[in-house]
Amino acid sequence: MNKWFKSGTPWIWMTGGAVSVSLIMVIGLFVLIGWRGLSFFWPATVYEFDMVDSQGVHSNVIGEIYDSETVLKQQLVDAGITGLEGRGDTLERYLIKVGNREYVELDFQWILETTIAGRYVPANIVVLERTKNGNFYGYIKEIQENGKTLSFSPEQLEIELAARLELTSTLKAKENDLLKGDIGRINFELERIRLNQRKLNLEGTLTPEKIVELENQSQQLRDEYLVLEKQLFAYRTEAQRDSVVITDMTGRDVVMPMAKVLDFYLPNKMTFFEKVKHWFHQTAKFVSDDPREANTEGGVFPAIFGTVFMVMLMAVIVTPFGVIAAIYLHEYAPKNTITKFIRIAVINLAGVPSIVYGVFGLGFFVYIVGGSIDQLLYPEALPSPTFGSPGVLWSALTLAILTLPVVIVSTEEGLSRIPSTLREGSLALGATKSETLWRIIVPMASPAIMTGLILAVARAAGEVAPLMLVGVVKMAPALPVDGNFPYLHLERKFMHLGFHIYDVGFQSPNVEAARPLVYATSFLLVTVIIGLNLAAIAIRNNLREKYRALEH
Amino acid sequence: MITLPKSTAETGMLTNLSAENTALEIKNLDLYYGDKQALFDVSMKIPKGKVTAFIGPSGCGKSTLLRCINRMNDLVDICKVDGSIELQGINIYDKSVDVAALRRKVGMVFQRPNPFPKSIYENVVYGLRLQGIKDRRKLDEAAENSLRSAALWNEVKDRLHDNAFGLSGGQQQRLVIARAIAIDPEVLLLDEPTSALDPISTLTIEELITELKAKFTVVIVTHNMQQAARVSDQTAFMYMGKLIEYDDTNTLFTTPNKKQTEDYITGRYG
Repeated sequence: MNKWFKSGTPWIWMTGGAVSVSLIMVIGLFVLIGWRGLSFFWPATVYEFDMVDSQGVHSNVIGEIYDSETVLKQQLVDAGITGLEGRGDTLERYLIKVGNREYVELDFQWILETTIAGRYVPANIVVLERTKNGNFYGYIKEIQENGKTLSFSPEQLEIELAARLELTSTLKAKENDLLKGDIGRINFELERIRLNQRKLNLEGTLTPEKIVELENQSQQLRDEYLVLEKQLFAYRTEAQRDSVVITDMTGRDVVMPMAKVLDFYLPNKMTFFEKVKHWFHQTAKFVSDDPREANTEGGVFPAIFGTVFMVMLMAVIVTPFGVIAAIYLHEYAPKNTITKFIRIAVINLAGVPSIVYGVFGLGFFVYIVGGSIDQLLYPEALPSPTFGSPGVLWSALTLAILTLPVVIVSTEEGLSRIPSTLREGSLALGATKSETLWRIIVPMASPAIMTGLILAVARAAGEVAPLMLVGVVKMAPALPVDGNFPYLHLERKFMHLGFHIYDVGFQSPNVEAARPLVYATSFLLVTVIIGLNLAAIAIRNNLREKYRALEH
Repeated sequence: MITLPKSTAETGMLTNLSAENTALEIKNLDLYYGDKQALFDVSMKIPKGKVTAFIGPSGCGKSTLLRCINRMNDLVDICKVDGSIELQGINIYDKSVDVAALRRKVGMVFQRPNPFPKSIYENVVYGLRLQGIKDRRKLDEAAENSLRSAALWNEVKDRLHDNAFGLSGGQQQRLVIARAIAIDPEVLLLDEPTSALDPISTLTIEELITELKAKFTVVIVTHNMQQAARVSDQTAFMYMGKLIEYDDTNTLFTTPNKKQTEDYITGRYG
């Protein structure tokens, strides 16, 4: 035994064990959120249950089995449920996603196995994805055009529905393009003209001719708008033409305008390959669509865009600052107590709770810096703030100070690893200290700088708390990048995957509907961070290869 | 067994060296690292177009003295120098002297090859680029000339744009020499240039040094007495920070004046 200890084997087991435990936890977490999140997009079988209650009254329930749990019989008896005689000690209870939110009391219902008299898988059950109120389950009954029923055979119904839905969604896409494109541009320009007029007014240079000129400009835009508006209404009316009649589980016929239907599918009829195709389609929609219904439905594209954009902006800000600070500390600062103290202070900055940075960002960047910018550069827009309110620029700056210590520390480490012979070699050729720095030292330290950046990106992409104070919102009306001059709108608020998780998971009115989205969004956030890191690691390895002088 | 150089110089030449034949004159040089004195009152004249060797046991101050000549010791914060070194009659320790300009006139090659993590070509033209020379033709010409002078051209002419780390240790050291002579210095300082190399590379470098003295004044520090005897025209023996004896190499190795020199070159200590 003593010999075994001396051989160092226990150490190997202990260290190896620690590594394995961390690996298992990381991979396990990743698989768990991946599985839970991604299986949400798989078209689940929709069942029709024949339910019978204690009075022997039958009713129908149509829905997906969402979850199930085992309950003790005693618990149920205590709760006053009868008719459990002759059952085992435990019973199954199912959570059924019933959908049809506006027609039922609860769109998720718990049903006990004893109340189920029969369970069927009807092939022609249809699932409608809607713009509002979530999914609708039922049977297609008929298709109406302008309120008149069209006669189709049951086989034709499906094909016809698909065709008409396609038509409607094309119209809606056109409508959306018009709204976001030309009409958006007109609104933007009108606002600019208004601000311009106010600005001239404030400067006291608003002459009557100017007023007429600006008035003419805005009149022209308004005329343009009227034409577009007609077009818009035409699209809208046309999209209202068709509707579909669906029989729901209670046998009621519901007329559903096609403008409110996004997509439909018949999960019980699908072959495996159709399901795979459907899964990819749904996943793609999740990544590329805008959120709907208080973020509990639809996609997360603005959040992905916001996260990546903000992190990149942060990287652009933090790298030069961190590198310059590290160069000063390492190369120029005298080696005395003050420098030592500053270095310790920098390292300790990394330990400050991130919410403190959030408060600092709000107080300093948003109110002081942003407020001053507004007064100096955008007085015409006041009292409504331009930069004086939380926005993506302030978020990036706040996270930049949060991650600054990481970049400084790793850059300094990189600088101190460069052999002094190379410095001397450069100096001996008549280079000054700064020439040596920029031509030899900094390029050679670039892998270390990239390492710092990787750590900074990883830290920043996962940070949520400070962002809630300095720029993240539940629902941003527009991306920080668009087609209107100056194309980059750094003052805008933005959406963030991390905040999206918090919002959907804990602030949403419909917890059950939102839960899979929390997993899916978490999975996506982790994937985005891994993606950003892999990109940075690839760049670093490239640089290392180039400057591998350190290895001798 | 010590091989002696072919040329012999007149005795007393070193003390009565005329001004135009003097590359460097070191006058009463004292050097301190903090409180510790490392060089004691060193005075010597280094002749132009010759190879001068500094020998002596480890820690005797020979490298320190060499690094004074291009003010490399300035990099050491606690280092303080008294006395003067005159290059073309100008004291290099004068306040008005631009250190970078001085180092362009006094090139240096270090103990270990230290090429930059750049291509062979970029290594050679580094000093020229520092001087702001951008003309491609000039750079190409200088690169070829200095690589030829460093006896490296034939080996690298087909891979000028490969990374310099792909070269062997001896080639790297010759590359570093080429880099130093590309900016056309007056004096070339070699700080134990062969101590990290194998015997064959050492031989090549030694041959190179003999050729270099046609164009440059060479000062070499070596711990290897045979090397000093092979390549140098005059030799300075240092011990404990003091210049013990400085004479024509032939004289110093055959009839040393001082007991300490004799003990050292006959291998009694060091």
